[in-house]
Amino acid sequence: MYTQPYPEGGQGPAQQNSATPNSLLVADCGAVFTKVSLFGLVEGQYRLMARGEAPSTVKPPLEDVSEGIIQAINVVEFVTGRKFVADKQIISPERPDGEGVDVFIATVSAGDPLRVATLGAVTPELDSLASQAVSGLYAQVQTVPSPSYVAATTSANAGVPTGGPGGNAAWTQERVAMEWERQVGRLREMQPQAALVVGTADGPAGPAPLQEACQLLISAAQENARQGNAVAADGTPKRYSVVYAGAPQYVEAVRRMLQNVADIVRVEPLSSATQLSAVSAAIGSLHEQEGLQQVPGYDRLRNWSLTTPVASATSLSSLVRFLAQHYAMNVTAVDVGGSTTTVMLAGEQGEFIPMVNSGIGVGTNIGDILQKVGLQRITRWLPFLITEDEVRQFVLNHMLHPQTLPTDSRELALMQAFAREAIALTVEAARKSSQLELPDTDLILATGGVLSHAPKYGQVAMMLLDALQPRGVTSLVVDSTMLISQLGAVATAAPVMAVQVNENDAVSHRLGTCVIPFGNVQQGQLAVRVGVEYSNGRQLNVDVMGGSIEVIPLQMNEQALLTLFPAPTVDVGLGPGERARAAEEIDGGLIGLIIDARGRPLALPVDDTERQARLLQWSQALGA
Amino acid sequence: MTYSSGWPVLPRTIIKRERWPEGYTGKSIPLVYREQEVVPDQPVLRISTPENIVAHEQKAANADSAHARSFSSSPTLFNPSSDIDIPSGLHGRVIGFTPRGGVVIESHAALLQGAVGAGRQVAGVLTMWRTPSIYSPQPIPPGAILVVPGSLTFALLHQALNSGVVGVVASSITLRDLEGFLRTDYLQLLRSFNREHMLEQLPPLTILLTEGIGSAIMPAHILSLLHQYQGSIALLSGAFSLRDGQFPELAISIPLGELEKGWQPVQPDITLALGSQVRICAGKQIGMVGVIDYFFAYEQSFASGIRARAVRLRLEDGSFEVVPSTLIERIS
Repeated sequence: MYTQPYPEGGQGPAQQNSATPNSLLVADCGAVFTKVSLFGLVEGQYRLMARGEAPSTVKPPLEDVSEGIIQAINVVEFVTGRKFVADKQIISPERPDGEGVDVFIATVSAGDPLRVATLGAVTPELDSLASQAVSGLYAQVQTVPSPSYVAATTSANAGVPTGGPGGNAAWTQERVAMEWERQVGRLREMQPQAALVVGTADGPAGPAPLQEACQLLISAAQENARQGNAVAADGTPKRYSVVYAGAPQYVEAVRRMLQNVADIVRVEPLSSATQLSAVSAAIGSLHEQEGLQQVPGYDRLRNWSLTTPVASATSLSSLVRFLAQHYAMNVTAVDVGGSTTTVMLAGEQGEFIPMVNSGIGVGTNIGDILQKVGLQRITRWLPFLITEDEVRQFVLNHMLHPQTLPTDSRELALMQAFAREAIALTVEAARKSSQLELPDTDLILATGGVLSHAPKYGQVAMMLLDALQPRGVTSLVVDSTMLISQLGAVATAAPVMAVQVNENDAVSHRLGTCVIPFGNVQQGQLAVRVGVEYSNGRQLNVDVMGGSIEVIPLQMNEQALLTLFPAPTVDVGLGPGERARAAEEIDGGLIGLIIDARGRPLALPVDDTERQARLLQWSQALGA
Repeated sequence: MTYSSGWPVLPRTIIKRERWPEGYTGKSIPLVYREQEVVPDQPVLRISTPENIVAHEQKAANADSAHARSFSSSPTLFNPSSDIDIPSGLHGRVIGFTPRGGVVIESHAALLQGAVGAGRQVAGVLTMWRTPSIYSPQPIPPGAILVVPGSLTFALLHQALNSGVVGVVASSITLRDLEGFLRTDYLQLLRSFNREHMLEQLPPLTILLTEGIGSAIMPAHILSLLHQYQGSIALLSGAFSLRDGQFPELAISIPLGELEKGWQPVQPDITLALGSQVRICAGKQIGMVGVIDYFFAYEQSFASGIRARAVRLRLEDGSFEVVPSTLIERIS
């Protein structure tokens, strides 16, 4: 767990200088859809006035992100009857007749993630730190340790298949050469855009790994030149961007070695979590150059915007941390996009665990989910039988047409099954990257098309409960207007507007409070007795059995006092069998008070018929 | 959007294509110079393969050699040594060379983009497939690009491969048959970074499917275009990479005679408008073609419960269908 600096320069959104625009258009350019929202003053409060959505246009044939924005703005124009675009330019500032807007800003999650190779003497600790450094960015990191480091730290018989070339061999010249070829092959497969060079010179292999890191990059650059790959716009071979976080005494030597193939950014040597921010900021800056600025149509977008377009994940992280501090609670945000899934956990003390899982999404990257988790983990969420062929065909079609929406309930269930696994994979990645047990959360905020556009609120709750498997007491909120990824960026230009829109419109779809008993929950036995005392004095006691989900009526704008009497082996957050009584009234929601007594970790019945019956039963309980 | 060029068929367009037979690892030598006019069966590239990979390359090139012999008697087209001469496949002008040795040719062409494809770039004579009968068995000509109006099967693909056909253009295939023939996970193939390496593993038969996975038949306008150019040499590329934005395509250079008649390239318009001909690209009606009949001003509700902006289509059979506007793509 670490604290990242705010990208806006060390300040939270609420502390920025206040600007007072009357109206603002914000565009969020996703991999599949572009969302545009119009904010304006309504009776002295900033509110969401209209929103529009259109397929993103980053890919051919249009290949211009601004085209999709204009199409989405056209929807806003249709809804409001106002005009915001003329001659493919944003009308700004707002005119007396209501045409135009004062401010336009954009967030971008379209485009490919930055591929970063971690080179040098990459110890397991440095590998983990490198993963943490990029965890909040649209970046994919892969470790390619130097052959001499591998030779010095791997026993002679390790890592070589028995009977293979060099099997049971010591680290001879030939075997080191084979390792060299293996690493070159990995770079060839990965085609990195940037490199992070790490490691000290006093390790088991001395400074040689740093030299080899450079040689690997030079070799990759030469191969690219031969193949005609990685060519810059002017036809010259593209230079690598290298963040050097290795032994400081060798920085000049590295610079000299790579002068023909790479540009070096030097940061403090990476050795512990305290240097993560610097590495993260350097790679974030590379993503802006190599990723955001390469998005087709970026220049026009930049010209329209008051501020530099930011990555959607950066914007989301600002908002999540603001919410955690403002409401003094642990907040988890989940964003399931077409090409990326993001889970961010922020604590009231500034703790922050971001995980931007680039390459895992329910659009063009849906195939990666299937590849990573396998068919069984997808189909276990479906209350019907399905063949492998049908799943694979669905996946292929969705990879080719990520903008399509599920029109029948079978496709919808499949899509939501993939969303569950996308979230679960991202939570696993966050856990692995932070090397911590993720803290219990007070608020779960869900966004992204598959969650925000789910036809029923119960389906959203079901996906979140299945995938995140929270414990204790938490609240579920769905961002039906898909605003939260944009509000962090809005806060940099208009902080008051961001706060007011957030409270009035973004987190307004509260699904309800959720009680999740855990510990030794016995199936079919009493798990928890729930006592509810409504504000009007009415009292209700409900016994919830293990293996079931119950919903207790508690509408929006209703409050109640909650008392939980868990079974002796069951925990609701205060220890096994410990009674819990809420100090404050809990809020109702669109679904009500949800008691998920299925146990943790969630285990689905092995028998297909029983599993399907349970899934249907749970769905019906939630109105899904 | 499936089609990077806008529409699946562009009957008249100007293309610039690198002639580079992916999958080869040898050194390439251009046989043409900048601004030179080339014809489809003219060799433009010679690939010298290293001794240690000759055997492998020879196997992969068998199809190329056969097809080269079939559409030209030029002795230079196939060199019996380990050098392989690569024909242009296009009629046009050489406008440049790529760092890996490929030749870039500009050509006036008809372009057909596939929904799904696999395999390297090949040139061959477009040949229509007719279902054989016991009375008139149809031999598959070696070196041809075979056009199959209907669905492909695993057996037909193998028959084509064994006959020395270099490419197949068809409407559709089941995913199981496609993966069985390619002996690879097709979903993984689409996401691969190292396309050259993946291509080396594929059988030497390039595939382009106009409708994609399933059992849809080829639309009449595509079939009509292919009929029109039957016997012409075409350049077929199965390269399909979602990461690199590459899509399978068939390029057929337009005969010089047609160019002289006030030839104008078609500018595809992908805007959805009343009367636009569109194709449904997902859901139960996938592959169906219709005309936009009505735009709903407000979101419509669908069987899944999803609400979305929608249009009403008049399908080719005269029936009407309401579909989300994100489920359709304009095709002409």
